[in-house]
Amino acid sequence: MKKSALFLLFVSLTSAAQAQSMFRGNAAHTGVYPGAAPREFHRVKWKFPTGARVVGSAVMQANIIYFGSDDGNVYAVDAKSGRQIWKSATRGPVPCTPAIDHGTVYVGSYDGKFYALDGQTGAVKWKFATEGERRFEAKGLHGWQPKTQTYADAFDVFLSSPAVVDGAVYFGSGDGNVYSLDANSGELRWKFKTGDVVHASPAIVNGVAFFGSWDSYFYAVDVSNGKEKWRYHAGEDPLIHNQVGFQSSPAVVEGVVYTGCRDAQLYALDAATGKEKWKFDNALSWVITSPAVVDGKVYFATSDSSLYHVVEAGSGKPILKKEDKAYMFSSPAVTNDVVFIGVLNGTLEARDRNSGELLWEFQTEKSKQNANWVLTAERKFNVPLLFFDGWREAPLVSADREFAIGAIFSSPLVANGVVYFGSTDGFLYALE
Amino acid sequence: MRIAFILFLASTLVSRADENTAGRWEGMVQIPSRELVLIVDLAAGSGDGGNWRGSITIPGLGIKGAPLTDIAVKSDGVVFSIKNALADQRAGPAKFNGHFVGDKKLTGNFEQAGNSAPFSLEKTGTAQVESPPHSTAIAKEIEGEWRGGYELFGNPRKVTIKMQNRGAEGATAEFVIVGRKENKLPVDHVVQEGEFLTIDSHETGLSFEGRARKDEIQGTILQGPLEIPVTLRRTN
Repeated sequence: MKKSALFLLFVSLTSAAQAQSMFRGNAAHTGVYPGAAPREFHRVKWKFPTGARVVGSAVMQANIIYFGSDDGNVYAVDAKSGRQIWKSATRGPVPCTPAIDHGTVYVGSYDGKFYALDGQTGAVKWKFATEGERRFEAKGLHGWQPKTQTYADAFDVFLSSPAVVDGAVYFGSGDGNVYSLDANSGELRWKFKTGDVVHASPAIVNGVAFFGSWDSYFYAVDVSNGKEKWRYHAGEDPLIHNQVGFQSSPAVVEGVVYTGCRDAQLYALDAATGKEKWKFDNALSWVITSPAVVDGKVYFATSDSSLYHVVEAGSGKPILKKEDKAYMFSSPAVTNDVVFIGVLNGTLEARDRNSGELLWEFQTEKSKQNANWVLTAERKFNVPLLFFDGWREAPLVSADREFAIGAIFSSPLVANGVVYFGSTDGFLYALE
Repeated sequence: MRIAFILFLASTLVSRADENTAGRWEGMVQIPSRELVLIVDLAAGSGDGGNWRGSITIPGLGIKGAPLTDIAVKSDGVVFSIKNALADQRAGPAKFNGHFVGDKKLTGNFEQAGNSAPFSLEKTGTAQVESPPHSTAIAKEIEGEWRGGYELFGNPRKVTIKMQNRGAEGATAEFVIVGRKENKLPVDHVVQEGEFLTIDSHETGLSFEGRARKDEIQGTILQGPLEIPVTLRRTN
């Protein structure tokens, strides 16, 4: 009896530790965080400054928080005090979430390299050169003009976050490949070529890597040899390339793959065959968030329509829907009774898990300052002032202004009753 | 005698205000982290108590000669709104509430989307109010109702355009697109030049351009970079 109790305790501690060591908590990307979470906002425990926006999410192991910043550094910060333990420089922005495994921190950078860092010191153990990082791009993208001009997508904000399973590390790249490297040596095990940028994070479950690409396909690949098991074709948009591509990372639970897509659908696919089980239409609004899945429910949010949804995992039938104020790219973090999500208007929201009602919210200082009147007084995006010109660089300038108000792309990490997230104001926040 | 004096004084004040108000005003509004240059033209309408006309140019926001509305001139200032540009669904049109400081300065508050910021303008000359584009009359054969359809991102859309001449005002049009819901687009400009027909809804940024031939109008729905072919046929 004692032995089994100890075993259960060990399992629970192990899963709790794993649940904070990579993007969306684990290799299946369920987005579920065990332990207590604040139902009320008390204070900012600390905020840690970096030199540029913090777009990726934080992970934690042994009370050390690891995250990347667009200033090119990967940081290790003491979870209790918010003091820097080390920083390790790459040669490009780091808008993705690191993974920690056996004391090594794995992370990609816009410099086109993938790094393995010593978790204690930040020293580089090895680095791997991909074929080069880039953003999704297309002619006349999103209706930007002139329509024969190629534009890089300002909304392709994330890099692929790695997953580490059984001594192998998996991540996607702007070069269109998904890579599998030996976690110890950094040697290439295999690479799988898709037709366009892969910035979603692969979920690894039962020996299969699941990921979507900007080529409009969702793939399942055998992790032992990198061979394709199946692919699913989602929507395309030859007109303005707006309604195409997987930016959302999948969650895989009980034989079903759940993923958002820029074609405005949330998909549920059979993990064994790739057959569509159901899809939830979001009326031309992107689903960038990576869904969280637990207890038969799928939690996700939309971009332009700014809706927070909970649907049945088995059928896709709606359970609840809440109108939010601005676009959501951040993925929901589900705890026992609270769901946390970041909003691009610079607000972190805590919602009751059952009712979806807003429990509390935290607004960044940059958001309060509302530079350029990016927001209306109600904290919605001030569309006529923000997106008044679709020509040349104007949409890019607008996107930059939009993001500069302390937007929260980062998905919250919840550990020991504290919520950790990054903001484009350059800070990593710890709230309790 | 006293009442006559007060009435005289009041009329003097109003005409002073009129003189103060009319003209070209240039300056800026200071929103957080950004100064927006403003050029406002205000002119009194013809006749006694004629309606005021006005337009505004904001180079930093791509606004040129946008019409002003709800212009109210008071003894100590002027209030006006921008008709369409910068309007917010909830808060309504963008508004200026200004007070004269001497003869050549107007300062006050600019409100847009519930936000508020100070503005300051100085009179620089006579008003150059821009007139909105005028619609032309259309050929009798084009008057009436036309229908067609197209696809947008794989979703079907039905278009109905109903045109009518309105004497000196030129033609007007009802422009309805039905997708998931019915959208009645406010049309502010209808022009026929030979076979070519243009119908603009500047408020929504959507237009129809077409070529009228006997029983059909072959044309294009234009919205930003989107150019979607559509053929309209007369309804029976």
